Amino acid sequence: MSNNTVAVEIIKVSKRYGYLQALKSVSLSIAKGEFVAFSGHNGAGKTTLLKIIATHISPSSGTVKIFGDDAFKSSSEIRRRIGLVTHVSFLYDELTVRENLLFYARLFSVEGEAFLEIIEALGMKRWYNVPVKQLSHGLRKRADIARALIHDPDLILLDEPFTGLDTNTCDVLVEYLKTQNGKVILISSHSIEWSKRICDKSILLERGEIVNGRPF
Amino acid sequence: MKEDKRQKDIGPSTMPQFWQATLRIAEKDLRSEFRRSYEVLSILTFAVGSILICSFAWSSGGGTAEPEVTAATLWIILFFASILTFTTSFTREADRGTLGGLKTLPCSPVAILIGKIFYGIVLLFLVECVLIPFSIIFLNLDLGGGLPLLLLVCFLGATGLSFAGSFVSGLLMFSEGKTLLLSFLLIPICMPVLIPSVLATEKILRGSGIAGLIPELKLLIAFLFLIAAIMILTFKFVLEE
Repeated sequence: MSNNTVAVEIIKVSKRYGYLQALKSVSLSIAKGEFVAFSGHNGAGKTTLLKIIATHISPSSGTVKIFGDDAFKSSSEIRRRIGLVTHVSFLYDELTVRENLLFYARLFSVEGEAFLEIIEALGMKRWYNVPVKQLSHGLRKRADIARALIHDPDLILLDEPFTGLDTNTCDVLVEYLKTQNGKVILISSHSIEWSKRICDKSILLERGEIVNGRPF
Repeated sequence: MKEDKRQKDIGPSTMPQFWQATLRIAEKDLRSEFRRSYEVLSILTFAVGSILICSFAWSSGGGTAEPEVTAATLWIILFFASILTFTTSFTREADRGTLGGLKTLPCSPVAILIGKIFYGIVLLFLVECVLIPFSIIFLNLDLGGGLPLLLLVCFLGATGLSFAGSFVSGLLMFSEGKTLLLSFLLIPICMPVLIPSVLATEKILRGSGIAGLIPELKLLIAFLFLIAAIMILTFKFVLEE
């Protein structure tokens, strides 16, 4: 795989939390335009791997390259190209959906309210000026996904995006993600059914190691 | 054209972007804080209530106390108001998970910290804006022409408390018993702010001009530089879980 086509390159990455080895010398390459699902049991290391790729946490050893750049040497610039959604919402309860999105948009140098089309695509227009604390779990998740996408990231990381969502919301999310051609999407999910609808291939993690990677 | 835009976006962070990030984070925190008005009101109520209690306690002495007692009282109230403020500064972000959102931002961790410091300075200065008039009325403070000097000392003191409080709040955000630990840790760390602030306030109440406050002002400013240097060097490690 040439460097021009590689979006994410993980080289012998390990992560240790005290005595717990969360990741053990994981290596993988993900090409531009690939949609990949990480699967595995609880504690397999999926979330840790996504957080390392997102530069949220640094590995104990190994190298992470995002679009050819060392992720931790130029993390501020790399983060402009990454959108992350975790099982915990990054939205502020006291602020409205609009205020939350404007906060993140300005910090990602997004002018105006260019993200309105994302709001419409995710069916959030009706709740745009509602405080986040008044939203249901599913609506909050949609708003959080909008937050992750407002700066048009090239790398979208989703940690358990379907958990706690109704079928309609999952459908909306899947259909929107399918339109993100040319981007890299990495999903960590227990839901093989929903992951299959978006992703081209699956990578199975077990006890911090990649067991296999295969197409769906 | 999209590639050109992307190249422009990936340029190194600039100083204007740094300060823009700090101001946006401070604005977000202040907006959230005033939406949760019960917390601001409880801090202001504490400050006003403390002044009223002191007024009652000193009423037998004509409603005034010695300048050193008054100065110490003002800064004790401000110190405990700062504990109430900074208990939630970073810890709320960590507890609610929104700290992760701040870590996704394309800005330096120091920008996040300085945004929190600005938020703390504004809140403490708001407390001072309520505290000083109530003190003038209920503690019979006679500042003469010393009000601008008192405001200067209060501003520097609030800035120092905010630097210390935000930093300690960040250090403790992943700890158990963070509320208790914050109170314990703030006391020694804030001494270089509190001591010169109390002494300077006492001198102002005794009618001293700015020339008489130089040693205390130097100490306050030196502390600000020292703690700023420590924060800049260490804060990126604080945000790591």
